[in-house]
Amino acid sequence: MEFKVCLHLVNTNLYLLRGSKHDHISDSELLQHFYADHNNEWLGILLQRYTMLLLGVSMKYLKNEEEAKDAVQQVFLKAINELHKYKVEYFKSWIYMIAKNHCLMKLRDKGRFSTEINERLMATPDESEEKNNYIEKDKTLTNLAGALQQLNKEQQLCVTLFYLEKKSYLEIAGQTGFTIMQVKSHIQNGKRNLKIAMESR
Amino acid sequence: MSDDLKNILSNLNKEIEQEKLLDYLNKKLSAPEAHEVEKQMAEDPFMNDAVEGLENFNNKKDLSLYVEQLNDNLKKHLDKKKKRKEKRRLREHPWLYFTIILLLILVIISFVLVKKYLSAG
Repeated sequence: MEFKVCLHLVNTNLYLLRGSKHDHISDSELLQHFYADHNNEWLGILLQRYTMLLLGVSMKYLKNEEEAKDAVQQVFLKAINELHKYKVEYFKSWIYMIAKNHCLMKLRDKGRFSTEINERLMATPDESEEKNNYIEKDKTLTNLAGALQQLNKEQQLCVTLFYLEKKSYLEIAGQTGFTIMQVKSHIQNGKRNLKIAMESR
Repeated sequence: MSDDLKNILSNLNKEIEQEKLLDYLNKKLSAPEAHEVEKQMAEDPFMNDAVEGLENFNNKKDLSLYVEQLNDNLKKHLDKKKKRKEKRRLREHPWLYFTIILLLILVIISFVLVKKYLSAG
């Protein structure tokens, strides 16, 4: 019995070690390895990188811990099946969309589909979004002084405190009196309006 | 893996470590560290949604355990699939394994006979 327990621990640790041994390999490299030999172990390593994020996304939509855990397992199975059928280039945005779609389908089946969640969320994964995110990261807000002035007071304040003074949501909330949700919303809307202002220049 | 190497690799990868995310959720990070996490959240809708969901778990200390269980189940599922594939391979070529076993038996018999012959001589 003790031997079996030891063997299980050794196997678990070997598996974990195997996982951490591949930390230096990017998602796309792991996918390439998988497409070369169709060995599901590569998928195992890749999917485990996103377990916590998938758990969070599932919980956000399903609002139930057990259902969220169940959803993550279903997403894993779906991902393994789909990856055998076609090639995926940007795994992170793809798995995010798989998880969201799965949760929304579950909500629709249960009749809990809120009017706030519209059909656009069920869109197929946009792989170009990840490329655009990388391009956007290169633009710094320090060159946007002119565009900043066009924002409303709340958005201007939150965006300045977050991006220029590098304050956390909690600090900004404490300083401004907004709730954390309001701070997040002002930053998100401010960023979008800045982007629009920059594009129109 | 040493801590220094881990830091270099995580910076190369530019993805937040799971431990940092847990620390953020448990409010263990300093304000500048929390800001870094939030900056990534603002630029990454996947991460933003995930954090919003994870914040709704009653006991955040259980999150690592849940992740471990899910990863463990995934591993078991993949191992099962692998064994099924190997069993199928065995069923498809039984004659190959039969021939190998037969050859091994012949080698053992020959060895025994030769040994007997030599000891008799």
